[in-house]
Amino acid sequence: MENPPMDKYSAGFGLSLVVANFLNAIILIVKEKNAAVMSALKAALGHHWITHGLIVIAVFIILGFIFSIMKLETNMNACKIQKYIIWSVIISGVIIAGFFLPNLKVS
Amino acid sequence: MFVQGVMMGHVALGVLGILLAVALFMDVLNVSEKNIARIRKLSLAVSVLIILAYVVGGYWYVVYYGQDRDIIKAGQWAWAHNYFMEVKEHVFFMMLLLGIYLPIAVYRNLHPAEKKNRSLVLVVCALIILLGLFMEGAGGIIGKGLTMGLLGGE
Repeated sequence: MENPPMDKYSAGFGLSLVVANFLNAIILIVKEKNAAVMSALKAALGHHWITHGLIVIAVFIILGFIFSIMKLETNMNACKIQKYIIWSVIISGVIIAGFFLPNLKVS
Repeated sequence: MFVQGVMMGHVALGVLGILLAVALFMDVLNVSEKNIARIRKLSLAVSVLIILAYVVGGYWYVVYYGQDRDIIKAGQWAWAHNYFMEVKEHVFFMMLLLGIYLPIAVYRNLHPAEKKNRSLVLVVCALIILLGLFMEGAGGIIGKGLTMGLLGGE
């Protein structure tokens, strides 16, 4: 099957979505394991979750524009991008759900 | 009443976002010149609803959730917070990013004449729907955890 062509913004922001998904899971683990990082995230904007979210959104948008001007669409296609997106959601979701699994104990 | 309104607003925005994502999925399956304008409007609507659910839910979580959290953690369903809220608040970021990306994929990569391109939008829609359903389920469990806490662990 012929791979469908791709627009530069769809490719760029698609790839930045993949990176931001993994970054989301990495920030979670680092902040939960490192009290100094958690304190820094709280101090930055008043709540660790707000800072965490804005970092992820900012990285998604900034990398999206950077990747878009890198002509990724010449090497990427919609099939590749959608596979990367699916796997990033599955892997990041498993990391997040797995990280908190020890908390799932009935008192 | 304001607090309840904020909470219900968050839930309503999320549910509406999921429903419109389902409608969008079906429309994209049958993409043509006739429905491309509606598809584009729907993708924007899904995106706006998810962003609003994030803002409203985030405001409630940061400002009001602390009291509820203490009640849940003191009750028999402490895991409703310790697991489901912790997972929900971090998995939501993925749904938010997918929601922001959706109109980009629709406006820039979906053409009625090139039906092969629709699979990317279908995948993003499906992920939003699945993650959204998890959000709703986890929200229900967290609400039940609060009830269990208020019942004094019975």
